[in-house]
Amino acid sequence: MTIGDQIIPFSPVPDTELSAIAKQLRRDIVTMISTAGSGHPGGSLSAVEIITALYFKIMRHCPSEPGWIERDRFILSKGHAAPALYAALAESGYFPVSELATLRKLGSRLQGHADRTATPGVEMSSGSLGQGLSFGVGTALAAGLNNKKYRVYVLIGGGECNEGQVWEAAMSAYHFKLDNMVAFIDHNELQLDGTNHDIMNIEPLGEKWSAFGWHTIEIDGHNFNEILSSLEEAKNIKGQPTAIVAHTIKGKGISYMENKVEFHGKAPNPEETKKALQELA
Amino acid sequence: MKIADISMRDAFFDALYDIARQDDRVMLLTGDFGAPSLDKFRTDLSRQYINAGVAEQNMVTIAAGLALSGKIVYIYSIAPFVTLRCFEQIKLDLCCMKLHVTAVGVGAGYSYSTSGPTHHATEDAAVMRILPGMTVYNPSDNIMVAAFAGMSYRDPGPKYIRLDREKFPLRYEEKHDFSDGLALLKRGKDMTIIASGMMVHQAFKVTEELLKHSIDAAIVDLYRLSPVNDNLLLQVMGKNKPVVTLAEDLVAGGIGSIVAEVMADNGCQSRLKRLGTENQYVFQYASRECLHSHLGLDVASITTGILRWLQ
Repeated sequence: MTIGDQIIPFSPVPDTELSAIAKQLRRDIVTMISTAGSGHPGGSLSAVEIITALYFKIMRHCPSEPGWIERDRFILSKGHAAPALYAALAESGYFPVSELATLRKLGSRLQGHADRTATPGVEMSSGSLGQGLSFGVGTALAAGLNNKKYRVYVLIGGGECNEGQVWEAAMSAYHFKLDNMVAFIDHNELQLDGTNHDIMNIEPLGEKWSAFGWHTIEIDGHNFNEILSSLEEAKNIKGQPTAIVAHTIKGKGISYMENKVEFHGKAPNPEETKKALQELA
Repeated sequence: MKIADISMRDAFFDALYDIARQDDRVMLLTGDFGAPSLDKFRTDLSRQYINAGVAEQNMVTIAAGLALSGKIVYIYSIAPFVTLRCFEQIKLDLCCMKLHVTAVGVGAGYSYSTSGPTHHATEDAAVMRILPGMTVYNPSDNIMVAAFAGMSYRDPGPKYIRLDREKFPLRYEEKHDFSDGLALLKRGKDMTIIASGMMVHQAFKVTEELLKHSIDAAIVDLYRLSPVNDNLLLQVMGKNKPVVTLAEDLVAGGIGSIVAEVMADNGCQSRLKRLGTENQYVFQYASRECLHSHLGLDVASITTGILRWLQ
């Protein structure tokens, strides 16, 4: 919020509330994708705890002033997880929660892939994989050049690590010593057409990030304690960026979606939606 | 040194250096590419200069991140590398987000004549011009190049500036206003040659030859390939005069296509001949003049071709 010209950043919630917020984001995600009739539930659900921790606990941001120059930046590189981002933006106050029902509708600000020119709080238009980390490098470089203290968080999919540009960016973030930058890898081990292992083996993923010069931490990406402590650790790392390889479950929180590749890009039908919302009650 | 005596690259970066000294928002990123005119940038303006390494896709998207953090960004490499190699990044990260980033490519057409198709820039202008919101400049002299440094700094939105490696005679006066996008450089009552970049200079030689055959040809310099100034182009082409377009680029998509599109959209019935590289890659490693002879783009071949076509 703002008082006069003064920006009052979003107040972090107590740690004890994070699980309930995550559950609400999951309800939002399932409802909006179901209403839209299309979307990507699996990879949205796997990223929920990471996004919840960032928007409701870690990041300095101001929903009523999305362009606040001092804000920490969250860059959704895996753009198909836009429903998770939209849910976090709505629940933290960037736009009304009721607007989530317009996902993928004609004229809506909430399209299938996020559009920064339309949606408040979206830092980067994404949807084609592999580009968010480079964007984060530019944003993090600018912080140093502009004498700003903001931090940059980029969320990358595990399958997205197939893209060569991810590694160009990884190399450059280390080269430029961007210790104001964190990459989360939402490592749910599935991609569009199967397992990472079968499609394009990205292991050993943590070792790859380490080899590229990043301070690398491996965590359970659904455990808030581990997410928060890894982010605290990252703040104290100097001279190199931090990669947090978050081991997650695609479709997390909904029994019939968990670890099911078919829910990468398929909306639940009305019956499935009902069941999902019962599980998330 | 006078502006006529330096390369297009040096003319551009000298002008940009003067701008950047006054405005620390201006950033120059290169894809591991140096030049004497860049040295003063990296020494005097070290916080405004980044060598992004041999990773053009990354460079484009880093530029996007910088631009959205308040910077006015220039990215520089050899023309095909800063366009074709990173085309999707330019589309999504610059054009879709409407960012103030200028791609500067050196090596227009067959500038790198001895380097083969990897370094020839014969499709870059064609593909860049179709991107919504992209402004494409193809300068023909150093006065224009220096002006484009200023215009790209002042005008928001993505741009592509395509520099030749050769030095050319100056065709414009200092302080010429280049906002028209094209210029009638020579009047001629019998036909019109529309050229761009180095081929503008070739066109002057061709018109001298044509005059020996009593053909008085006009020359139009189409230096902004997108957005095209349709009205002015139609006006300077004249009514019902034969039109020849002249470029080193592949015929498909290049300035011949631009002129054909403008003519078709406006019901222009003039005859049109598009000269350029016909549907091929050039694997000859030779001087630019040799390549022109091989492709029928030397003065004699162009003149003969036009005379035959006019009959």
